[in-house]
Amino acid sequence: MTDAHVLARMEQRLAQRHAAERRFHLLGLGAVVLSLSFLVLLLVIMLKNGLGGLDWQFLTASDSTDPASAGIWGAFKGSLWTMLVTLALSFPLGVLAAVYLEEFAPRNRWVDIVEVSINNLAAVPSIIFGLLGLAVFINTLHMPRSSPLVGGLTLALMTMPVIVIASRNAIKAVPPSIRDAALAIGASPVQTVFHHVVPLALPGIMTGTIIGMARALGETAPLLMIGMRAFIATPPDGVTAPASVLPMQIFLWSDEIDAGFVQNTSAAIIVLLVFLLAMNGLAIYLRNKFEVNW
Amino acid sequence: MIQLAILSALVALVLVGWFTARGKARLFARDGVTTWSRPEYHAAHLVLWILVPALVGWLAWSALVPSLVDAALAAWPVAQNLPASEFERASVLAEARALAANPDAGSFYPLAAELVAPIQQLNARYGLVGAVIVAILAFSGGAWGFSRLRADFPARTWVERAVMLLLLLASLVAILTTFGIIASLVYETGLFFGQVSPIDFLTGTHWSPGAAVGDDIGDSFGAVPLFWGTIYIGAVIAMIVAIPLGLMSAIYLTQYASARARRWIKPMLEILAGVPTVVYGYFAALTIAPFIRDLAASLGRDNPSTESALAAGLVMGVMIIPFVSSMADDSIAAVPSAMRDGSLAMGATQSETIKRVLIPAALPGIVAGVMLAVSRAIGETMIVVMAAGAAANLSADPLDSMTTVTFQIVQLLTGDQEFDSPKTLSAFALGLILFTVTLVLNIVALRVVRRFREAYD
Repeated sequence: MTDAHVLARMEQRLAQRHAAERRFHLLGLGAVVLSLSFLVLLLVIMLKNGLGGLDWQFLTASDSTDPASAGIWGAFKGSLWTMLVTLALSFPLGVLAAVYLEEFAPRNRWVDIVEVSINNLAAVPSIIFGLLGLAVFINTLHMPRSSPLVGGLTLALMTMPVIVIASRNAIKAVPPSIRDAALAIGASPVQTVFHHVVPLALPGIMTGTIIGMARALGETAPLLMIGMRAFIATPPDGVTAPASVLPMQIFLWSDEIDAGFVQNTSAAIIVLLVFLLAMNGLAIYLRNKFEVNW
Repeated sequence: MIQLAILSALVALVLVGWFTARGKARLFARDGVTTWSRPEYHAAHLVLWILVPALVGWLAWSALVPSLVDAALAAWPVAQNLPASEFERASVLAEARALAANPDAGSFYPLAAELVAPIQQLNARYGLVGAVIVAILAFSGGAWGFSRLRADFPARTWVERAVMLLLLLASLVAILTTFGIIASLVYETGLFFGQVSPIDFLTGTHWSPGAAVGDDIGDSFGAVPLFWGTIYIGAVIAMIVAIPLGLMSAIYLTQYASARARRWIKPMLEILAGVPTVVYGYFAALTIAPFIRDLAASLGRDNPSTESALAAGLVMGVMIIPFVSSMADDSIAAVPSAMRDGSLAMGATQSETIKRVLIPAALPGIVAGVMLAVSRAIGETMIVVMAAGAAANLSADPLDSMTTVTFQIVQLLTGDQEFDSPKTLSAFALGLILFTVTLVLNIVALRVVRRFREAYD
């Protein structure tokens, strides 16, 4: 074989390899574009169907059998009460548990069990929390069915692990020198943690809390289990009144046969997505604004 | 409302306690006595002594009141008319209690309306007793706390002990939740298996709980079609969509995209994970399912159903993409850069490095990520409820309607039926299986990830 021949074959092979490289690159780009186009498709369809239905009347009326006079105010108020209960429970419990596990817990078998169960709870399907809520809060403790109280309690159990995990990471990121300095000038361990470590970790804790609350706000399955799927024509005014929530209203309307409800469903989805985007945006803003690189 | 009165009285007492204790502790400093703790700690110590006994007593009393009311009610003349059967008696009482709390509530039994007045009277009486108990506890607790307020009293130590107890209790909630899930699922499942044999349930291929009447109900609770539908939709169709798209997205973002593009694309992908599942469900039912039905019709299927496993699985796959992508991203980032640099230095192209070095090295992490994604997909509820259908078909055709474990749990528990029927109990048995499978997948996946990380550390 001549040298020129070998050289030609080498060049041919190199060209093949470069072509494969380009194909692979395009494949990756294609995957990203395809994934994002699903998102765009979803948003475009919802906007196309729902934007016409978004008016003042839709935002201030409650559920009705007539699609033209139905609105989301009742469901929105239900969501508000439910989120209030969820936040009031999961935030303090989550932060305190994180403080304990990260700062004070001894290394032993019990603490290992707590850690394992928190990590697993974060991955348990949400519908299982609904079964827990049904069996414990409604059938055992006889709390009022389809109320924001039970819904909020159920969602709080679901949100708490998310807050614990985020708070632990935020607390872990506070450098030990802060603790050493506080301890060195005579602060007790509890004072050190609550006067210095927790305030410094607060942006991270808030970010995690907002993300957890956003997830709870969009959750439907566990609330189906505890009966929050009733037709509610009057907005609830308390945590024990029967209520619906925004995602549940979307689910209920999606089942309606009347074509007018397609517009209502899409409009409610737009409202829900706006809220979720705002919450996630706030979380990202907080993280960027207050995050300290030690 | 007596509750409101108790609460406001407690708040007032706490405020008084706080300011008196702080004021008294400040006097020590004025007199030049060295104190053990700062005045605020003395105040907090007193507040704890007022609040904790009172609240514990209140809670215990509130838990006791319903049974006390029931017992006292039995002596009332109206109560003699209560039906003898345990079940009816309980429902009349429950209704009367609901009426007593809220006069607008509707009633079915006429007797319930007669019971309202006695119940309200008894509630008021026991409420008053409760208020007295709370007052005694608050005042005696406060008095004890105040008697300990001296300059040399280590108030801070005691307050910090209480704080530590609070922290410990908060972290126990997680264990309690896990225990509550397991206990309630296992208990109800036990009741179910008392009526239907576990073997029928786990190996039967015929699922129609609505038809379950008579002695031989085991035949109607064969859950194999549900398991099959769950695996086919969540672990096959959804993964066929999510694994290639998620993995290739992660590779593109970590290896090819510029830092600027990455900063924009990554959050946008994460929006896909943040969209509520009910929105995906509606998207599937409104857009994807009719599209697939038309496609099936054009392929020569006669009368294809709108609810198909393919529609639900496709949308579920889209939902899982960011999840797979971020897990793959993490695993690829965990591969030491020396391996990548070595491959590139030998003259391999970037795609050859990715295919021959990075992916094999990151494979355990990617597999663990896929396992977590599967566990999320099989637990997903709203998409299948809105798009997959109720028919329990044992079929391999993606255009068929199929049902899943989560769909059936929703189906069985949303409706008005009594709680102890095998139909409702079977939902808990399905829940237990779902919980166990996702738990095992998660534990195994986390263990794989940990071992994989250690290998490169």
